[in-house]
Amino acid sequence: MGLARASHAGAHLLDPAVLGRIGNLELLARTVVDGFLTGLHRSPYLGFSTDFAEHRQYMPGDDIRRIDWKLFARSDRHFIKLFEADTNANFSVLLDVSASMGYGSHDVTKLEYAKYLAACLTFFTNRQRDRVGLVTFDHDIVDYVPPSMKHLDTILHLLDRANAAGAGSLKGPMVKITELLGRKGIIAVISDFYEEPDEVIGAIRTLRARGHDIVAFHVMDPAELGFPFEDPSGFEDLETGEQIPVVPARLRDDYTRLVSEHVETLQRRFTDNRIDYVLLDTSKPLDLALFKYLLARERATRKR
Amino acid sequence: MSLAFLVPLFLLGFAGIVVPIVVHLTRRQRKQVVAFPSLMFLEKIPFQEQRRRRIQHWFLLSLRALALILLAAAFARPFLNQSDLTLAGTSGPREVVVLLDQSYSMAIGDQFERARDEARDIFNDLGPLDRASLIMFGQGARVVARSTSDRILLQAALDAVEVSSSATRFGPALKVAQTVLEESELPSGEVFLLTDFQRIGWTGDEGVHFPAGSKVTPIQFAGDPPDNIQVTDVALAREAVSGRERITPTARLARRGGESAREVMVTLELDGQELQSRPVTLDPNGSAAVTFQPFTLSQPHTRGTVRVEEDELAADDAKHFVLSPGSALSILILEGGPASVDASLYLRRALEISEDGRFSTTYRRTSTVRPQDLDGTDAVILNNTNIDGASAERLRSFVEAGGGVLVVLGEDTGWPGSAADLLPGTLGTIQDRMQGRGGRLGFLEYGHPIFEPFSGPRSGDFTGARFFRVRGFAPSDSATVLARFDDGSVAMAELTRGRGSVIVWTSTLDSFWNDLALQPVFLPFVHRVSEYIGGRAEALPWFDAGQLVDLADPDALKAAGLVSAEAAGLAAGLEQVALTPSGRSLALPAGDGPRYLPLDESGFYTVRPPGSDPDRPFVIAVNVDLEESNLTQLDPEELVAQLTSPAPGPGAGREFAESTTLRREDQERRQSLWRWMLVAAFALLIIETAVSNWVSRRGTAAVAT
Repeated sequence: MGLARASHAGAHLLDPAVLGRIGNLELLARTVVDGFLTGLHRSPYLGFSTDFAEHRQYMPGDDIRRIDWKLFARSDRHFIKLFEADTNANFSVLLDVSASMGYGSHDVTKLEYAKYLAACLTFFTNRQRDRVGLVTFDHDIVDYVPPSMKHLDTILHLLDRANAAGAGSLKGPMVKITELLGRKGIIAVISDFYEEPDEVIGAIRTLRARGHDIVAFHVMDPAELGFPFEDPSGFEDLETGEQIPVVPARLRDDYTRLVSEHVETLQRRFTDNRIDYVLLDTSKPLDLALFKYLLARERATRKR
Repeated sequence: MSLAFLVPLFLLGFAGIVVPIVVHLTRRQRKQVVAFPSLMFLEKIPFQEQRRRRIQHWFLLSLRALALILLAAAFARPFLNQSDLTLAGTSGPREVVVLLDQSYSMAIGDQFERARDEARDIFNDLGPLDRASLIMFGQGARVVARSTSDRILLQAALDAVEVSSSATRFGPALKVAQTVLEESELPSGEVFLLTDFQRIGWTGDEGVHFPAGSKVTPIQFAGDPPDNIQVTDVALAREAVSGRERITPTARLARRGGESAREVMVTLELDGQELQSRPVTLDPNGSAAVTFQPFTLSQPHTRGTVRVEEDELAADDAKHFVLSPGSALSILILEGGPASVDASLYLRRALEISEDGRFSTTYRRTSTVRPQDLDGTDAVILNNTNIDGASAERLRSFVEAGGGVLVVLGEDTGWPGSAADLLPGTLGTIQDRMQGRGGRLGFLEYGHPIFEPFSGPRSGDFTGARFFRVRGFAPSDSATVLARFDDGSVAMAELTRGRGSVIVWTSTLDSFWNDLALQPVFLPFVHRVSEYIGGRAEALPWFDAGQLVDLADPDALKAAGLVSAEAAGLAAGLEQVALTPSGRSLALPAGDGPRYLPLDESGFYTVRPPGSDPDRPFVIAVNVDLEESNLTQLDPEELVAQLTSPAPGPGAGREFAESTTLRREDQERRQSLWRWMLVAAFALLIIETAVSNWVSRRGTAAVAT
């Protein structure tokens, strides 16, 4: 199937090498990661399945075929037998395409890295017959593809065309996305989170409150993390165009400290809100990062 | 002495030094800009970059600022104001006029070069407030520089002048100098006359008087008169042989000076090719004639030169001429009267006799002029004819287009009343002069081209002819009487109409009414009359230097010998270009007005349409005026005495000088400080470029390490 897609626009985002390693991850996940692979998503709905969940008293309007007649024979009361259903989950990627995502100190910009990530996740999830959707946003929603089994092509196409532009903000887009994504599902938020942690959490919490299972991918360039600049220069904000003169040697320590604090704060606050948080360094291999995340999630699931 | 500026407004350019200062203060910001995703964390760090506010390269900044200041100052045209300089000890500023002779006699030896050097010295010796003019003169005067204190201009003008081909005339140059001195505001004038003082240049009645107090300084440039041989004239005798024209050139040579007989070689060149050479021996102050072998003239505008070996005065060693084959005049003779009388016998015979076959006659006994009769005809002789009205109208058109008509009156002559205005008067009755031995011609208009050749002694005697019968003729107001009989009656009258003319001869041209036809003068008379009415003007084989030719005037062109079909555009007013003997091109733009070609140089002027190269272009030969070869000298003091008046009283110049200041423009032009400032500014900018490149490279190397 992956080869068949190769001729499609956006297919280049599906790096065969990455997909190959993801495929291995799938095999691994099939056995160890509950809720991420085909048929193993823990559905938030009760439905038809072989796994019994509970009994509920019959209410007028319920399908009489679902009445547990054996129990009626024993107790002379009508109960409905409920099963925990394995469903097709909704998987949506929320991709930040603000101008800051266009930064890259080496071959790959943050947006390109995020596109790979989004493509891999989307392709991979769709392959498990889950519905996939995409929302790109800066300070507003740029593109929206509702979750569907048939939307992979559209998503890959949109990913291919996405450009980093405009100022970024989480709050506005998240409120709108909350309204767009009515059905609960899994949401991957891919952004550089250049906002105060309170604002980030505040924006994403609205989604969490609607019952979505959220994974936050924090994409950072190594230059943003390590600040390896030497020459005194004017630094220009990619989103606002503002310039300030900077002597990097004098600011590096303070900068890296502030970034570390920011990452730590986000990590803590996301965890507090039961949101998975993954920091991705664009200089690191994508599959390795994903692998690490999946391992971590697997462990967490086992604990549950 | 103080520094002043001619255009101080340009000093506003000093404000431009703000530019390099701002650049020095701000360029660090622009040097390197790093795009960064967000300044969120950087802005939280309390830090102020101060380095950019500091000027780092003071040397570069001062170079740039200084260059800008120099540029602005140069445009403001600075000068050291010397108007407060005292002029004590001088007689005030002078108006100096240098008259430099450029006639061709100045080419002897190094006379002209010495005169030019002298003029240069005069200009170098000018005082700060003096003004000078340079006037070149030959036959005319040309003001090269007028009343200026700009020595550079004067020196440049001197460098450009050369010896011309003209003769010496002091009058025009001295009159121009007089005008310059009279118009001058300066208290004293001084004229330097740099010439070889040839006597032929001064007649004494030029009427030139310089203003009182003017000083004339004659500077003579003449050595011993050289042994000069000149070609004074070339006679070009034509003769028709087997239908072709043969020319026999005879050159006349003259020698001025010398101590013993000398043999020189005389050369005849045609179209630039040497044709013949003849030796001739000339005694001191003697002359000789050299006749060359005849040559056949077949091409129009053939250039010829007779040349002797070059001597010190080279300009008169050659005589140039231009020849074209002549064309026969076509003359139509119409005779009336009874058939038994051949009234045109003498006339026809006379026209048939010519060495060069220049008349082609057609004879008809009729009184009607047909249109085809006039095609290609130059002149019509109506011999005792009574023409009708239609013929007269045809003749009117013929005359107005340039043709000529001779009406010979006889017994049968009649003229239609409708064309009476075509005749120079009205016909009268026949009058007999039987008293005595008949009438004689009493008055001839020798100034007229017909009789002009007979004006000299032994050049034809009309008084021998007896006139026994004439036709009465009353000339009109517009007619010109060319000849009268001794009783005052008209013998010959002319009326000009359009471009042609009608001449009436009031007696016959046979032997019945008079015996003129039997006189020796008859033949040349008939030839002259025929040539005149036929419009033949003898083409001038050469012009003298200094003459003008109006190339828009058909008659002038004819006189200049224009026959080539290629040059026909000249008369039509088409654009032409003239190439002078020295190779300069003179444009003669198309137009209706006169187009004068000044013939200043000796040699051949070629006139042709621009961009074309006709096989036989129209050529005009120009020779120098031989008067100039007469090097007899004038006493300079005699000349000066006629020009000057007594000087005014002392003190006048001093008073003027105190109130006179040198004009600011002149001071600035003379000092030209702006040139040095511009040079300095550009030098500074070059240094700045080198230094800034070095600084930039050094900075890059430091970052790389």
